[in-house]
Amino acid sequence: MRTHDRAPLGVLAGITLRWSATYGALILLGALFLLPLAWMFSVSLQDAQGVFAQPFRWIPARPRWENFAEALGAIPFGRYLVNTTVITASVLLLTLLSCSLVAFGFSRIRFRGRNLLFALCLATMMLPGQVTMIPLYIAYARLGWVDTYLPLIVPAAFGSPFYIFLLRQFFLTIPREYDEAALLDGAGRFRIYWSVVLPLARPALATVALFCFIGTWNDFFGPLIYLNSPEKATLTLGLNMLKSQIIGSGSVQWHILMAASLLVMLPNIAVFFVAQKHLVRGIQAGGLRG
Amino acid sequence: MRRAHAWIVAAAIAAPGCGGGDRGGVEIEYNCPANALEIRTLQKETAEFAAESGIRIRLNPFSGQDKLYAMMAAGKAPDIFYTSSTMRDQLASEGRLLDLRGVSRGDPLVERLWPHVIANGLSADSGWYSLGNWEFTCGVYYRKDLFSAAGLALPDTAWTWETMVADARALTIPPGPGGTGGRYGIFIASHFVETLELMNGARFPRESPLLAIPPESADAYRRYIGLITAGLMPGVLRVQALGMQPAQLLENGRVAMLVEAVPDESLFDAMTEPWGVAPLPRFPGKPPAYFRSASGGLSISASTKNPRAAWEALKWIVTRASTYQPTPVLKDVDFAGGWERRYPRLAGSGFREVWELSRRYPGGDPRYFVRFSSWTSGFILGRLQPLLDQVWAGTLSVDSLVAAVPLINREAGRELEEIARTRTLSEPFRRKIEQALGEVHAPTL
Repeated sequence: MRTHDRAPLGVLAGITLRWSATYGALILLGALFLLPLAWMFSVSLQDAQGVFAQPFRWIPARPRWENFAEALGAIPFGRYLVNTTVITASVLLLTLLSCSLVAFGFSRIRFRGRNLLFALCLATMMLPGQVTMIPLYIAYARLGWVDTYLPLIVPAAFGSPFYIFLLRQFFLTIPREYDEAALLDGAGRFRIYWSVVLPLARPALATVALFCFIGTWNDFFGPLIYLNSPEKATLTLGLNMLKSQIIGSGSVQWHILMAASLLVMLPNIAVFFVAQKHLVRGIQAGGLRG
Repeated sequence: MRRAHAWIVAAAIAAPGCGGGDRGGVEIEYNCPANALEIRTLQKETAEFAAESGIRIRLNPFSGQDKLYAMMAAGKAPDIFYTSSTMRDQLASEGRLLDLRGVSRGDPLVERLWPHVIANGLSADSGWYSLGNWEFTCGVYYRKDLFSAAGLALPDTAWTWETMVADARALTIPPGPGGTGGRYGIFIASHFVETLELMNGARFPRESPLLAIPPESADAYRRYIGLITAGLMPGVLRVQALGMQPAQLLENGRVAMLVEAVPDESLFDAMTEPWGVAPLPRFPGKPPAYFRSASGGLSISASTKNPRAAWEALKWIVTRASTYQPTPVLKDVDFAGGWERRYPRLAGSGFREVWELSRRYPGGDPRYFVRFSSWTSGFILGRLQPLLDQVWAGTLSVDSLVAAVPLINREAGRELEEIARTRTLSEPFRRKIEQALGEVHAPTL
């Protein structure tokens, strides 16, 4: 009886120990990743001197919540938020439509040269942005698109190789029998795409949407190159304006910059929490089949 | 789907930034990296300038070298933009910059500029391609309270390197067990070593195509390293471990003296302890020659449709726009006084004396990143900087660094030979490059 009692206790202790070690390591690792964010949050509540205080005070004696109000006033935050939202929403919509259409073609329609075209599509990923920057700029300048949002939005209508790849891989996991059943019911290719494949591909679409949202929301280089007018700036350019100085000796208001950065980051965090379940499933499924 | 497409099109059209607009009249685009507050101020002032001159200045605060080159390639260069001294020669040789001599002829502004301001904007073809809009010198900031506590006289304008080293020694407190606490006498960031070369009598041709490390420079390097080995100054790794900005080091008393730019707004903002600033110490027997930055200025694009209006706008920006005031480029502006009005603590700090010395004995700008020509700067720095890092870390001797100069120049020469074959290179610039090639191939090298 005594032996019988001891065995589960030992097993329980082993499990507890293993779990403690695992969770302890995960918490430690998580804390390590959260450290820069925590610093950012702490600085956003300090005054100008607090940023440079030694030793650094993680919890300020008097948190300055007004830094956030100052950050909102330091740049035309509302206007930049609208600009960024317009660009991000448009890019998101166009990306989801164009990439899923192309991926559907590559995964569902058999045609001569399909694999070659797919390889070519993937090969465009290998071109660094710096190589295409000047030719693209010249093209957009000739179209009269510089200092408009068109160079930032319109390319999304032509697909992105990474998202096409991700969606194609996911579409391959959807049994073809669904297509055949729909064909028997008289559905055309577009109906199958729209009513059969897309609803089943929600996790992959959510993954693409998340990547696309984060990439577009945080894009700095594109708006920097194509936008010229201050009133057309995006939030990332606005953040940079908090840092730039007309002459080299100006001082950066780090506490205001960090408060503004946190505000800009909030939608990213919110979207990630909403979509994280789909994100994991989408990546897992997208990576299963070649 | 139709609805979705309609939405996209509607959104694209309705978006505030979609579709350009041409309001007509004389408009000058100014590519200026400015913060939001500066932009707001400039926007207000440019409206006033437009009302009095009829010239509208359109501000483009989103700048950078990549963007500038893309804009130039597309024939959309802004009318006014910043050029560093290292890119100016190249852009001038490609005919991308307006020679300011033409538009400024007979303009009274030219008489008001310090002569060196014009000299700094000249290129190899004697063309004037940029108007400086900012300058600074550097000095030794020090904590007055620490000097008083150590019973030391405060640094003055006549102090020497030896006095500075003696003061640093007196102010140094060795760290406690485990390397905690303690104080260093001085901190000079490695990018200020060039100013020590200057103080030690080294002289460099402007925008040189080749690298030179004269004996005065080598001596300055040794003195600099000597401060570290004597424990009077923290090395690079120690500074990184301390995790502080230079101004923090001084504010927190981890160093008693600090070489920094003058003026330095971030330092003025950060310091709460009593401080003063002295000029860089003189080297015995060497004539005074104080650092004066001249790394760049504002240029006008050769493709501007309104050169005269662009010049008027440029003049207004440099001499009247409040964000650039007080300007250091005009003879009739009290630069030091302007800063003292902005920061009353500067009065009596030594700031004015440091500034005036640099004006009286301008030694120019010997910094590595502006020392070399457009064509070889990146190449030379790419090879030199890793060696310098090793020298400051004590893993390479100064003699070995000096010995590497001919090899670096031979490699730079190969780059120059390539450039000399460029057809678009205009004659004065070609001559400059060929002259440098002659030096590379000379038997003494």
